[in-house]
Amino acid sequence: MTSYVLFLLLGLGAGSVYSLLGLGMVLKYRSTGVVDFAQGAIAMWGAYVFLRLRLTGKLELPWFALPHEISLGTGMAIVPALLITLVYGTVLGLVVFFLVYRPLLRAAPLTKVCASVGVTLFFEAVAVLNFGTTATSAPPVLPSKAFVISGVVIPGDRIWIAGIVVAIAVALTVTFRYTRFGLATRAGAENEMGAALIGLSATRIAARNWVLATLLATLSGVLITPISSLDPTSYTLFVVPALGAVLIGRFESFWITTAAGLGLGIVQSELVKLQTVFTWLPQQGLSDGVPFLIILVTMSLAAKRLGARGATGTLRNPSLGRPTRPGATALLAFAVGVVVLVALHGSLRAAFMASIVTVCLALGLVVLTGYVGQVSLAQMSFAGFGAFVLSHLGHSVGMPFFLALLISALSAVPLGILMGLPALRVRGVNLAVVTLAAAAAMDALVFSSVKFTGGLGGRKIGSPELFGLDLGIAKGNSYPRVVFGVMLLVVVIGAGYCVARLRTSATGRMLVAVRSNERAASAVGIRVAPVKLYVFALSAFLSGLGGGLLAYEQSSVSSSTFTAQASLSLLALVYVAGVGRIAGAVVAGIMFASDGLFVSFLDKTLHVGQYQTVVAGIALALTAIQNPDGVASNMAGERGPGPRVAALRDRIIPRRHRPVVLDVPGQDGAFVEDVAGPTPVSRA
Amino acid sequence: MGQLLEVTDLRVTYGGVVAVDDVSLHVAEGEVVGLIGPNGAGKSSFIDGLTGYLPRRGGHVEFEGRSLDGLATYAVARRGLVRTFQSVELFDDLTVEENLLVAAERPRLVTMLRDLVLPSRPEGVDDVAWARMLCELDDVAHRYPQELSHGQRKLVGVARALAQRPRLVLMDEPAAGLDTEESLAFGRRLRSLPGHGVSVLLVDHDMGLVLSVCDRIVVIDFGKVIASGTPEEIRADEAVIAAYLGGVDARH
Repeated sequence: MTSYVLFLLLGLGAGSVYSLLGLGMVLKYRSTGVVDFAQGAIAMWGAYVFLRLRLTGKLELPWFALPHEISLGTGMAIVPALLITLVYGTVLGLVVFFLVYRPLLRAAPLTKVCASVGVTLFFEAVAVLNFGTTATSAPPVLPSKAFVISGVVIPGDRIWIAGIVVAIAVALTVTFRYTRFGLATRAGAENEMGAALIGLSATRIAARNWVLATLLATLSGVLITPISSLDPTSYTLFVVPALGAVLIGRFESFWITTAAGLGLGIVQSELVKLQTVFTWLPQQGLSDGVPFLIILVTMSLAAKRLGARGATGTLRNPSLGRPTRPGATALLAFAVGVVVLVALHGSLRAAFMASIVTVCLALGLVVLTGYVGQVSLAQMSFAGFGAFVLSHLGHSVGMPFFLALLISALSAVPLGILMGLPALRVRGVNLAVVTLAAAAAMDALVFSSVKFTGGLGGRKIGSPELFGLDLGIAKGNSYPRVVFGVMLLVVVIGAGYCVARLRTSATGRMLVAVRSNERAASAVGIRVAPVKLYVFALSAFLSGLGGGLLAYEQSSVSSSTFTAQASLSLLALVYVAGVGRIAGAVVAGIMFASDGLFVSFLDKTLHVGQYQTVVAGIALALTAIQNPDGVASNMAGERGPGPRVAALRDRIIPRRHRPVVLDVPGQDGAFVEDVAGPTPVSRA
Repeated sequence: MGQLLEVTDLRVTYGGVVAVDDVSLHVAEGEVVGLIGPNGAGKSSFIDGLTGYLPRRGGHVEFEGRSLDGLATYAVARRGLVRTFQSVELFDDLTVEENLLVAAERPRLVTMLRDLVLPSRPEGVDDVAWARMLCELDDVAHRYPQELSHGQRKLVGVARALAQRPRLVLMDEPAAGLDTEESLAFGRRLRSLPGHGVSVLLVDHDMGLVLSVCDRIVVIDFGKVIASGTPEEIRADEAVIAAYLGGVDARH
C-alpha cells in the first residue's frame, strides 16, 4: 500500500510539469488562439539556460553561430540564476511573440500550429548544435529532504513542486477573475471584435499573456531538470500530456487543467508500479500510452462542445485547387521524373526518391485536410503501421511488390477509421490534439513492441519484386537504382492521379461539400459521418502506402521514423506547401522534406548540413507567416496549378478537341470549354 | 388529393422560451402554401424543427403518410422533404454547377470506392439541368458562389433544393433581399413548380409575393397560428391586420 502512495507522489513531478506547460498553453490559446506546440521546446531551452548559468555562469543565446554565449562570471547560486533566467524568459517570450505569432494573429488555426512547429524545430536544432544530443542531469533546485509520514518516505521535492504548481494555478485564477488584465483577456477570448471596439488592444493583451506563458514554460523547465534528465528533444513531447490536460480543462479552466495535469502524472507513475505487480501487463509503453488512451476515449465520448474561442475570423479552410487534365499532368510528371532520375546520381538521386515518398505521405493530408478540412497528427503512425506490416509480409515468397504494398496500405485503413471516430465529435484544433494523443499512444503501445517493430534495430525489408524482377533500391554495388525510382514514380503518380480525379468525381464533390458546410451538406441528403470516416480511411491508406514505399526506400524500418513529432512535422510542411492541392504535396516532397531533393541539394552545394534543421525551422515559421494559404497556392497565382506550367503542359500534350456536349461536364471532370469559356480552375 | 405533409402540434423551445407553440399545418399534393408572420414569429424555428435541425419538444410530423419523427436531417432530405436556408449556405468551394450536382447525386459506398480508381460520370445531370433551367442559372453555372450577386445566390440555393427532385420544398425566405423585379420573376418560377410535381411551403414576410403565389396561407405570430385560409381570406382577416398593420401603426 505504502509503495502505491510513493508512486503517487513520484508522479507529482511529471504531473506538475504537465500542469505548468498546460497552464501556459491555456494562456496562449485564450489570448491568441494559438495552440503552441513549442511550449515544451521553450521549457527545454529555459532549462538549458538555467543549467548553464548555474554550472558555467554563461548566458546562452538562442543562436548557434559564434558567439552564442555571454560569460557572466563563474557558476551561480540558484537565486541569481533563476532571476536571470526569468528575465531572459520574458525577453524571449516577447521576441518570439512579435517575430512569429503577432503577424499570425488573424491566420487560420492550422497556420499557427505550423508556425509553432517551426519554432519547436528551431529550438531543438539550436540545442543540438550547442549542447549535443546526450542527456545531462542537473543538481537539485528544490529542497529534496524527505519527509516521513507514518512510515512512508516522501520525496520532498515533489511536494514542493506540486505546491508551487497549485500556488500558480490559484494566482492565475485570482488574476483572471479579479484584475482588469484578466477581465480584458477573457473579453478578448470571448469576442475579439467586441474587445477591440471597447478599446482593448488585442496585441498588448496577447503579448502579456504570451510572456506569462513563456515564464511558466521556463519555470517548468527549471523545476523538472533535477527530476528528469535534460536533452534537446524529449521535453518537446511533454506537450502531448500537457495538451491532454488542457483539453480536459477545455482550453479554459486553470483549475481543471492543473488537476488533470497532476492526475495524468500520477496515473503514469502508478502504471509503472502496476507493471511490476502484474507481470502480465505489457512491459513497454504502458505508462506512456495509457494516459493518451484516456484522453482519446474521453474526447471521443464526452466532448460535444469544447471551449471554442470567439475569434473574429473563425476556422478558415485552406484554399482548394481544381485539378485540370490530370491524365496529361501525370504523364508529363512521369516523363520529367524519369529524366530527373537518370540525370541525378548518388545521394541526390536518393534524395529525389525520398522526395517522391514524401509526396505520397503528403497526399494523405491533401485528401484529409485539403478536401474535407479534417486534421490528423497521426499520419506517420499510419505510415509506420503500413511499413511494419510490409516488413512482416515475408518478402521471400516472391509476392509481387504491388500486392505487398496494397496489403500494407490496407492494413492502415482500420486505424484510420478508428481515428475518424473522434472527428465525428470534435473539430479543428481540438481534433488535432486528439489525433496527436493517438499518435503518442501508438508510439508508446504499438511501436514499442519488439515483436512488431524489431526494437531499436528495426526490421529489414526485402527488395520489391515483380514476377522475379528485382526492383530494389540497391542491388550489388549499385545504389540507388533508377528502376526503383521508376517504380516509385509509377505508384506515387498513380496515387496522385487518382486523388486528382477523385476531386472532380461525385465523391469529391461530396467531400468538398462537407468541408464547406456540414449543415448544408446534410440538407442535400449527405450523411456527414460516413463521409468523414471514408476520408480518414483513404488518408490512412495513402499514408500506409507511403510508409510501405518508405520502407522499401530505406531497406529497413525502425519505429524512430514514425513518431508523433514526425507527424507534426509532416502536417506542418504539407500545410505550408499548400494542403488544398496536389501541387502542394509535390512542393512539400521536393522542396521542403528534410531528406528531400532541394534540402539535400542545398546541403551539397552550400554545406549547410549541420544547420539544416535550424534553417528548416526558421523557413517553416517564415513561410507560414508569408503564405498563410500555402506556397503552392501562391505559385498558382489566381487560378489553377500554375498557369505557366499548365500552358507548357498543354503545348506538350495538346488537348484533344472534344465534341461539345451540353450540360455534361467533360470527361476529365473539367467542364467543356467550348460552351462555358475558359475552364474555371480555381477560386481566388 | 391526399395530404403530402401533415404537421400536428409542433413545438420548439429554446431553453424556457417557446418559439413554436403547438403549430399544426398541412400541405396537399400540388399545393403552394405560404407561412407568414412578423419577424420573430417562429417561422424559421418551425422549419428547423420540422426538418430536424432543432429538436422537437412535442408534436408529430408525417410526410407521405410516414412519420418523420426521430429522423436525422439528411434522412429527411432523402425522403423528398427538402429545405433551403435563410442564410443560403451554399458550398463556397464548389461551382454553381457542382453545388447542384452534389445535391442531385447521392453516391453509395460502391460509387465512393469506384471513384478512387475509376471516377463515375456525374449522375443526376438531368435533374441538375432541369433545376438550372427553372432558376435560369445557365449563365453562371461555372462560377463560384462568392462571385454571384445576393439574388443569384438565393436562386442557387433554391435550385440546389430542386436538383434533389423533392416532393416538397420548404423555402426559408427565398425572396428576402431580392428587388421587386427579381421577386416577381421568382414568384412565376415558384408557381410553375406544382406542374413539375413539386409542392411548396413558402416562408417569407414579403406579403406581396406570398399573397400572389400561394394557394393557401397560414399566419403565425408569437409561435401560434393566428389565421389560415386563401389569400383573399387572409387579406381580410382582422387578426392578421392587427399583427401586421397594427404593428406598423403602433410604430408610427
